[in-house]
Amino acid sequence: MKLKRFKGSIVSMGLAALIFGAAGSASAEFQYQCPRVGGANNTGISNGIELVDGVIPDNEAWNLRMNNKVCMHVTGSDGFATMADGKRLYVFGFKDQTGVIHKNHLNRNSNFHKNELLKEMGEAVTQGILGANQPSPPISLNQDDDFFLTLTNPGMVLRPDLFDPHTVHYHGFPEASAQFDGVPETSISINQAASITYWYNNAEPGTFMWHCHVEATEHMQMGMLGSLHVNPAQNKTGFGGNDATIAQLAGGAGPKGYVYNDGDGTTAFDVEKTILLGGYDGVFHDASEGVLPLPFAEMEDNYPTINGRGYPDTVGTTDAVMTDFGDWQDFGTLNAPEQFRNTQPVNAIVSATAGERVLLRLTNLNVSRAFTIQLSGGLKMKLVGQDARINRGRGLTDGKDLYHETSSIRVNGGSTHDLIIDTTGFAAGDYVLYTTNTNYLSNDQEDFGGIMTTITIN
Amino acid sequence: MNYFLKTIGTVAGIVAAGMFWAATASARDISAANGTGVNGPNFDLVAKWGYISSPDGNTIYTWGYANGTGNMQYPGPTLIVNQGDEVSITFTSELPEVTGGNVASSIVFPGQTGVTASGGTAGVLAQESQGTDAPNTVTYSFTASQAGTFQYHSGTRPDLQVQMGLMGAIIVRPADFNVARTAYGVGTDSDYDHEHLFNLSEMDNDIHLAAETESWKAVASRDFNAIDTSEFKPEYWFINGRNLPDTVMGDNVPWLPTQPYGSFVRAHPGEKVLLRFIGGGVDGHPFHTHGDNLTVVARDGQLLSSAPGQGADLSFSRNTTDPLPGSTMDGIFQWTGKKMGWDIYGPVADFPHDCNDGDADNFDDVTWEWCPDHDKEIPVDMPSLLDMSYGGFWSGSPFLGHLDALPPGEGGLNPSGGFTFPWHSHHEKEVVNFDVFPGGMFTVFIVEPHSEPIP
Repeated sequence: MKLKRFKGSIVSMGLAALIFGAAGSASAEFQYQCPRVGGANNTGISNGIELVDGVIPDNEAWNLRMNNKVCMHVTGSDGFATMADGKRLYVFGFKDQTGVIHKNHLNRNSNFHKNELLKEMGEAVTQGILGANQPSPPISLNQDDDFFLTLTNPGMVLRPDLFDPHTVHYHGFPEASAQFDGVPETSISINQAASITYWYNNAEPGTFMWHCHVEATEHMQMGMLGSLHVNPAQNKTGFGGNDATIAQLAGGAGPKGYVYNDGDGTTAFDVEKTILLGGYDGVFHDASEGVLPLPFAEMEDNYPTINGRGYPDTVGTTDAVMTDFGDWQDFGTLNAPEQFRNTQPVNAIVSATAGERVLLRLTNLNVSRAFTIQLSGGLKMKLVGQDARINRGRGLTDGKDLYHETSSIRVNGGSTHDLIIDTTGFAAGDYVLYTTNTNYLSNDQEDFGGIMTTITIN
Repeated sequence: MNYFLKTIGTVAGIVAAGMFWAATASARDISAANGTGVNGPNFDLVAKWGYISSPDGNTIYTWGYANGTGNMQYPGPTLIVNQGDEVSITFTSELPEVTGGNVASSIVFPGQTGVTASGGTAGVLAQESQGTDAPNTVTYSFTASQAGTFQYHSGTRPDLQVQMGLMGAIIVRPADFNVARTAYGVGTDSDYDHEHLFNLSEMDNDIHLAAETESWKAVASRDFNAIDTSEFKPEYWFINGRNLPDTVMGDNVPWLPTQPYGSFVRAHPGEKVLLRFIGGGVDGHPFHTHGDNLTVVARDGQLLSSAPGQGADLSFSRNTTDPLPGSTMDGIFQWTGKKMGWDIYGPVADFPHDCNDGDADNFDDVTWEWCPDHDKEIPVDMPSLLDMSYGGFWSGSPFLGHLDALPPGEGGLNPSGGFTFPWHSHHEKEVVNFDVFPGGMFTVFIVEPHSEPIP
């Protein structure tokens, strides 16, 4: 039987000239592709999320969702971030723009809606300049979601000599196609003053990552890195035919969620947190800002990070990390200059009530180092998955049980780990998650920083 | 099942069209026949000095194993034996002359048991050869009792000599290899269609310059032992002794006479690729396969099996493996395009084709098309041609076996319209050649359409 495939109507606008002038391209087309679903007014789609105290609530994600159709819009550009010792670094990164384009104007034929859409796309591009977030916006999806991810490239105002395209590489996506794999050498990438829409059928659950793959060594070191996870279908169905096991993430009464379709509840969790390891080489970033040759061979990170922050910002008492944009405060805003901006809206605080199962999605996108991560105070974590596969023989859900408990684990660049901490019986207090590569417990010359955060048991 | 598939493509005026009636079978072994290995069980290895090329224009002074009177090569010749063979390797050092002979060297065989040696002089780890003057040829002997992937490397000052290039692979074929092509035997989940070596290593240019400088001195003044390897800072990263883009050149290309092994992998959908990983350097390298996860079935020549007859039931799935220095790892990779959500051969109206699933596994019996996605379209539009930048391996079309329009000068490295994916170290610092991007530990894997023969 041949299936008639729904093809979303496309909204595309031509913006003939980029604000600060794009060199060379004969066409420059920003476009945001998101299918029309659910009737004339796209009812039922939530529109963006609210930051809580300047921070993205744990494992939330910005997207438009209607049933299993999910849309997201990001810009890829440059920006600034503040390290835990106060140093401002020039960075590249993605910024979420999904909430800027209002769902009501999508896929409508009237001139009013088209003009509103044009205006909003302009706003997205304007705010995207110098808009990089560290890390990139986290992405949370469900198994079998149709995910439309639009990437818009507004260019880089601080480096007008760079004409770099950008891509999205969905790291670990099973059975990928070349077109949407995001590797410029083997595929396509999007030039400045244009947009591309990636599409993924999220057939498999697990913990993944996403990052730009253009000039990977440079763009990844500069910070175009983010986390991504796909919730399993078991969240909605529960297991064993027992409706009481349906996950809370799907409106049920069971655990908050499962990591995989384990069939027996062994990957259930009550609290989840993504721990994305990374790092910056301050010398490399300064060279990029100063339009100097980039020292690839000498690359060595001196600002190790979790979720784009070094300790103590990982557990910051002020949840937002505000960066001083100084002379660049006119860029990236719609109206008035904005000197201080929230550039790193993901903290690394883990908090649970005793007895809860805490899922750590422990991932690493550092371009030069693996880290060993250790828990203090006798906390143990059970490795239930790695590289988006359940930790069972042959990577199959009915494979031999390979789960094992540990208090430390080595995390290579490019790998993801699903670790569940059972906090039953542990005294209330702060426990520490840190790297045993103790020279990376630092923010450049500042001792007592870097890859460290707290797990608070209440 | 026979059927007709028409391909249409235009690239700068070239029209490609083809028809086929049956899948083109393909198989690739590491073998003496295609120049990617040497058959045993008797071998003659000579340690020689020479030069290798890196794509940034450097020539790097290197020490490597030669097969008898052949060229020095990096990595050393891949030795192929059968399970149960009595292996005998004669070894002589023709490394630079020093007072008393040549630089002493030896070979160790991690993972082999009962290795004995005769001849030469006693070294710290193994019998050493100190040159061509008799009696300085060593003969190493062992029984290759276990199938799998192993390595051999220098046992003399390995901190210097392995870094200089003295390392290579050993493949022990299982006893039932004539029944089925597997790494560990029938029923071990290690059957494959294509076999490739992934010997990962790195070099610190300063150490090689120091050794080269020593070699220019008068014989009596040479002191290779004075070379300090403690500040190891590599600038070059290799797969099978080559850096990208040399990694995607063919095997035994004449312009790389001392680097005979490429790592360019091609397979049809559904075919299995055996990746024999070797940690041939001093660092671990997280190796990332785009396109899908692979299944790690063995480590250090040991099948990940809980009991005989269970197959690789302890195997695990990874998209980023971690062959550690000195260790080996075997992975099976298979790409099918399962559940991608769109028809990889394109819409039927444009590219007529059927999906015939006679054996009810949801895949076409010949092309491995995922039949539940038959005729499904890609639900997004591409940007206009001038809004994108292109890689040389981009065919112009999202569909397997098709080409499409590209701006002049673009593409061209993928004339059969396959899906191309990079396989590379995920410590991206290692994907450079001494400050030049791209380079290093990076190669390409192409999923070729079924009509495309893979030699």
